[in-house]
Formats: sequence, structure tokens, C-alpha cells
Amino acid sequence: MKLRLSPQTVLVLEAFLHHPEQWKYGYDISRNSGLKSGTLYPILMRMAERKLLETSWETGEPGKPPRHMYRFTPDGLRFARANASLNAPGRAVQVAFDRMRDEVWG
Amino acid sequence: MGTPRTLAGKLLRAVVLLAPAESRDWANAMLRELDFIEGEWAALFWALGSATAIFRHAGRNWRKWFQKNTRGQEVVMNGMMKKIVGFVVGMLVALAFAFVAIGLVRLADYLSPAIAQAHIDWTHVLIAEIFAIVAATLLWRKRTSVSIGIMVFAIVGGAHVAIHYAMR
Repeated sequence: MKLRLSPQTVLVLEAFLHHPEQWKYGYDISRNSGLKSGTLYPILMRMAERKLLETSWETGEPGKPPRHMYRFTPDGLRFARANASLNAPGRAVQVAFDRMRDEVWG
Repeated sequence: MGTPRTLAGKLLRAVVLLAPAESRDWANAMLRELDFIEGEWAALFWALGSATAIFRHAGRNWRKWFQKNTRGQEVVMNGMMKKIVGFVVGMLVALAFAFVAIGLVRLADYLSPAIAQAHIDWTHVLIAEIFAIVAATLLWRKRTSVSIGIMVFAIVGGAHVAIHYAMR
């Protein structure tokens, strides 16, 4: 169950760790993690392939197009809890660096 | 619905149609999210990112399939095959030189009308031939087959141009 833990992957894991029992939509994860679709979806695809994530189509009202939803599998939740926190110091440094860069460059 | 969002919708619908079966569900998922994105340009960027993601996913799957199907079958490229591939690569390199030479001449014409008037008709051929000779010489020891491909293309191309101007 290998998944490369890039800073972006950690952001996605963290987004899912917030109410992990709830199904989440792609756009909502994108907004919460700040990742663009081109970065987010490859991570979601890899997580689903490694059975860390389960996917489902929303059965909404008739006439309304369904949305794809994502949620941790038990394995995924264990993996996220074990790994997202490990990367917290690195993430903090990165966030601080990003803030500093934003302030310097606008 | 503005133009960027319309474009985004068209792009993602095309991606859904063209995506391989194993990526189609994901492409559909990205298309469905489009309705919930606030902002016209955000929708377009979403679609562009999504199309890239599907393209990469499909590429990865094709690579996996290829690796799976060639593993254990002793598909080792023999010497002859390597030479043929090298030769074809050399021809393609020479063709690329020809396009680069045409581009350079056009650029020079555009930047300076004086150059446009001064140069001869087949300047681009001359430039391409010089590129080819230099490349073939440099590659001769390490990539002989590529070098031969470049030379053959240069000789055939040069002869073609010479005949063309001689007949005119």
C-alpha cells in the first residue's frame, strides 16, 4: 500500500480527515485543500486504486446530474492517521514559506 | 453561461468521449463538478486541469499495460532492430533540421527586410544541410545508425532540391 507522500497528498489526506465518515465532493476537496483539479484528481485516482478511498455516485433528485463522492476506506483512514500527522512539521514549514512568499511577491 | 464555461463544458464532454474506459468514470466525475464551480474562468481552469489529469491517467494505464504485456516475453531489441530505429530517428532528426532552417529563414526575413531581399532561394536548404553535416559528424562514433539516417535524408533532400532548381 505505497503512496508517495508529497505535500499535496498530505493536504488531501488532511482534507479527508476532517469528518472522515462523510462523503466528500471533488470540488469541495479542491477548495479545502487549495489544490487545482490537475493535481487533486491524480491523487484521488491513486488513492482509489490503492483502496485507500472508496468512490460512489450520489443518488440525488431525479433530473439532477449525480456527483462523484469520495470517502476513506478503513485502510485509508488508518493510513491517513499514521501519515498526515507525521508530516505536520514539514507542512508547517511549507505553509510559513508560502505565506512569506505571498507577502514578498504579493 | 459565458464563453469560458461553455468551452470548459465542451472540453470535458470531449474528454469523457475520448477517455479510455478505465478513466471515463473519473472524467464524468470532473464534468459533473463543473456545475458547482463558481466563476467562469475557474470553470475553464478546472476543465483544463481535469483534462490533463485524465490524459496522465490514461498514459499511466497504457504504460502499465505495455509493461505487463512485454514482461517475460524476451522482447529484447536485437541489433538489427536497433539499427533500423536509429536510422529512422536520424531521418526524423534531419527532417526537424529542415523545419528549423525554414523557421530561421522566415524569422530573419520578418526581422529584417534587407535579409529577405539579400538571401537566395535555397538558403534554408543550405542551413539544414550544414546542421545535418555537423550532427552526422558528431554522432558518427557513438550513434552510427542515427548518423547514417541523417546523412541519407540530407543527401536525398539535397539531391531533390538540386534537381528541382536545375529543372526550373
